[in-house]
Amino acid sequence: MSAGFIEVKGVSKTFTGHLAPVEALDRVSFSVAEGQFVSLVGPSGCGKSTLLQILAGLMESSHGEAHIAGECVSGPMPEKVGMVFQEALLLPWKTAAVNIGFPLELRGVPKPARRERAHALLSLVGMCDVADRYPHELSVGMRQRIAIARGLVHDPSVVLMDEPFAVLDEQTRVRMGQELLAIWQETRKTILFITHSLSEAIYLSDTVLVMGPRPGRILDVLETGLPRPRTPEMIGSEVFGRLRNRIWQLIGEAQP
Amino acid sequence: MRTRAAIGHLAFLALLLGAWDAALRFGWADPTLLPHFATVLETLWRLLLDPDFRVHLGVTALEVLLAFVIAAPLAVSTGCILGEKLHFGRVVNPVLHFVLAIPQSIFLPIFILLFGIGISAKVIFGVTHAYFVIAVTTVAAVRSVPLPLVTAARAFGATPRQVYTRVYLPAMLPLVVTGLRIGMIFNIIGVLLAEMYGARFGVGHKILGWGESFDLPKLLAGILLVSVLTIVLNELMRAWELRAGRWRPATWQV
Repeated sequence: MSAGFIEVKGVSKTFTGHLAPVEALDRVSFSVAEGQFVSLVGPSGCGKSTLLQILAGLMESSHGEAHIAGECVSGPMPEKVGMVFQEALLLPWKTAAVNIGFPLELRGVPKPARRERAHALLSLVGMCDVADRYPHELSVGMRQRIAIARGLVHDPSVVLMDEPFAVLDEQTRVRMGQELLAIWQETRKTILFITHSLSEAIYLSDTVLVMGPRPGRILDVLETGLPRPRTPEMIGSEVFGRLRNRIWQLIGEAQP
Repeated sequence: MRTRAAIGHLAFLALLLGAWDAALRFGWADPTLLPHFATVLETLWRLLLDPDFRVHLGVTALEVLLAFVIAAPLAVSTGCILGEKLHFGRVVNPVLHFVLAIPQSIFLPIFILLFGIGISAKVIFGVTHAYFVIAVTTVAAVRSVPLPLVTAARAFGATPRQVYTRVYLPAMLPLVVTGLRIGMIFNIIGVLLAEMYGARFGVGHKILGWGESFDLPKLLAGILLVSVLTIVLNELMRAWELRAGRWRPATWQV
């Protein structure tokens, strides 16, 4: 396989705490091709978020290295890598539109340009009417849409998403998944999507990376092979069920 | 809603003044101890025109202002440092709370011995009154900033300086303003107390003197003046506090 767009090579992470050191990641390697939608699933505490933090340049790995778009990750690369977190993490004293423009503001982009970009993204996530609302006036789902728009504000080639729908109710979650796929189809970003929901991972992705419990390692890489566009009915299909069972099996076998 | 509250406040004021009037009219109160409200207002007006009293008022205002200008930046920076440096804060924070718990009036004799009965003693007493409450509130303000917001800002490429100016400061501001407001109240308590204990100038000094000489119209006029001025000052700071915290949900606002 040629070098991928996201390339993770033998990344290990050990936390040296007050007590015994904790091994969070053990020689994780994988690669993601440009424009792919890839999910990372695994049980809680398997180091998914740690891996994402390393990719985002927020944390250093103990061993190994990660490359994104040909560049070795050594710190945050906001222009190349967009981030969406589990909580929306909007600045509560800024309106939705200003929040979307916040990463641009940090880079010194002038206000009119920020405002214009924010409005374009608000229409992409279907939220034009809440531009001047404050986060506490929005529902959890709306806030998460704003967070997704903010993740796209630099027009990055890669978007890292850390369980962005985990706090949503089932229905909102499925709908947001649909919307995310539509956005992805329109923008063709490379997306690395962390989730603990197997169905969500299969439903959204081209490829599912399955991680085992601590110390986190990649158990298998599954191509979903489901046709696009995806429809909610596929969740009940036989292929879907087989993929789901396969992941269950992998994670089950890896339990200590 | 607002007009209703205003009507309520006016009704309360009318009730208070009515009771005052009734107490005199029906002979429940001794007129030498409780002068008529109109007399108090008239005395207040004459006091305000009296250049001698204005000097006293000016001295008190100067002391309050100086004390606040010294205490506020010192206390806010202390709070920022203690809130940020966790280990250091763990040692020093309890000390702040201990000192805050002690009624500082018991130290007044020592302050007078150390700094005399001039302006400096009042200013220093005001500073120590304001300092601790502002510092403690600022520590709370720093701690109230959600760390995930900081992480997110870093992921978006914020420099350490930007994290401070774009995340920490705006997030802390409403609580810091609350601290400043309460610090101001403490400051005024300190200054007036020091003036009453030993001074040649100041509103506190005058009020004590009027009390000792049974000059009730002046005493009540002085009390009324200080009350109105401090209420106005506090309301102005409260307006600033609400403005700074406009982004907070209504339920957070105190």
